[in-house]
Amino acid sequence: MDLLKDIKQKRAKQKQKKPFRRDVFNQISGIVKQYGLKESFLSILDNVEDDLSEENLKFRRVRLKTPMESPLFSLATKDEYALTMSIIGKVDNAYLKFANSPEEILLCGSLYRLNPLLTNQKLMRYHFETLLLHERAKANREI
Amino acid sequence: MRQLFNSDMECLVESDFIYLPLLLDPEIEKEIQALLRPQRPMENPGHPVSKTIITHQDKHFVKAFSIHSILENYEVINAYDYKRRRKEFLRKYQLTRAIDGILLDDTLKTILFQVMPYFIRKNRGMCRKKLKDEEILDLIGEKIDIPGKYYKEAKTYRHVEHLQAVLTGLENQKPIFKTPGNGLLSTHQLRDWFHEAVHAKILAKEHDRLTKALQIRLQFSQAKPEHAATLLYIADTGSMEIDGFGFTRKNGYRGEYFVYKRVGEFVLKDYYARSYLFPACRVAVSTYTPFRPFVMEKYKHPFLLRHKSGQEICMQHFAPPDEFTAENAIRILEGGLTALRYGYDARRRNGYHSLDRTWVYIPTIDFEDYRI
Repeated sequence: MDLLKDIKQKRAKQKQKKPFRRDVFNQISGIVKQYGLKESFLSILDNVEDDLSEENLKFRRVRLKTPMESPLFSLATKDEYALTMSIIGKVDNAYLKFANSPEEILLCGSLYRLNPLLTNQKLMRYHFETLLLHERAKANREI
Repeated sequence: MRQLFNSDMECLVESDFIYLPLLLDPEIEKEIQALLRPQRPMENPGHPVSKTIITHQDKHFVKAFSIHSILENYEVINAYDYKRRRKEFLRKYQLTRAIDGILLDDTLKTILFQVMPYFIRKNRGMCRKKLKDEEILDLIGEKIDIPGKYYKEAKTYRHVEHLQAVLTGLENQKPIFKTPGNGLLSTHQLRDWFHEAVHAKILAKEHDRLTKALQIRLQFSQAKPEHAATLLYIADTGSMEIDGFGFTRKNGYRGEYFVYKRVGEFVLKDYYARSYLFPACRVAVSTYTPFRPFVMEKYKHPFLLRHKSGQEICMQHFAPPDEFTAENAIRILEGGLTALRYGYDARRRNGYHSLDRTWVYIPTIDFEDYRI
């Protein structure tokens, strides 16, 4: 490929419209605001592993995600910002940006540890509880 | 603004500016850290550092708006609230009626004392003399039945003591407001201060109006009560008619009027000398541009383009004046009246339409129903 073509291709790529994706801050900040989360949520997040026993997770049916209207650009007050950043810092995995509720934030870490290769489509469609139960069932079958 | 006042947060006042708590996202946080870094070189050396962001008690505040600017422009920013507050204020001092302003209106004075005497029958018999303003008011009083309430109102209107007391009260209140001191302020405190400041501003603004009103009322106190009643009646109703001459205030336009003169039934002849009886109408001119004569009623005439109301009369070589004066108003009304009654030439069939149906007949406006 000659240089001219290469430059043209690069420029065309640069000009292409890229779909806007919400980043993890906007998503989590949206949840913090919508559900009015306080600092106590962090302690729940610390102890979440203890509560995730089989008995506490009931398999109802396939749970779909609760729809959420998060802003494209979220601006937070100082407290909200600190809480959002703490959540992001604590959970710190690729699934967090797909969480739509505080419950999903709590389940996010366990789900990622069980299977870090879930597709975006699945993460966007199904509730993390359903995915977690599914992954656990899969793991039990393999044993 | 309303959202801010109803919110429950703290804002910072610093050198006549309101600073609001800074909202954050990762990008903003990075920028703030860069902005507040002590080794940061000055952007404009020699100029004072602009305080866009202030840190107070470990909280960041961003410059939002100038107190004076918002106060100066509040009338435009929140017209509804400003009007409401002004109304409340005026009601408090019983100044809701805008009669003072109307009485001050030069347009109304021109119509009343300069245009009207030209068109009405002033004197009996052969006597001819120019009437003074008081005599014109007497004449109006004779020809128009003014309701009794205006006489009562005129009596109270002539007592200026109450207004003088109000004005002295206002002056004693010292409408100068104090800007809030630097420091943290809750939105409720800010709201209370702001409302007080708006009130003080209205007070200062209305002070001039009250002084003018007092001047007028002092003039009134020397005039006859009948004259005062006549003027109050005219200012209140905004319309009047004597001997076919009249004026009416245009709805929605304060201080703008239609000045008109009635034309009785008249006859025009067509090319074959057949007569057409035209109904009575009012030829008018407005006190705002364009200064052209028009017919107020739904009307048809060879000099009117269509059959509807408010049509300008077609007049050849007519140059409308640039301003509303008594001479211009008289000239325009005379011109319009003459054109309607005597302007049509049956031989030339001038105007938009012909009275008789020409052999190349295009059905536009038909005058057959006026034929006698």
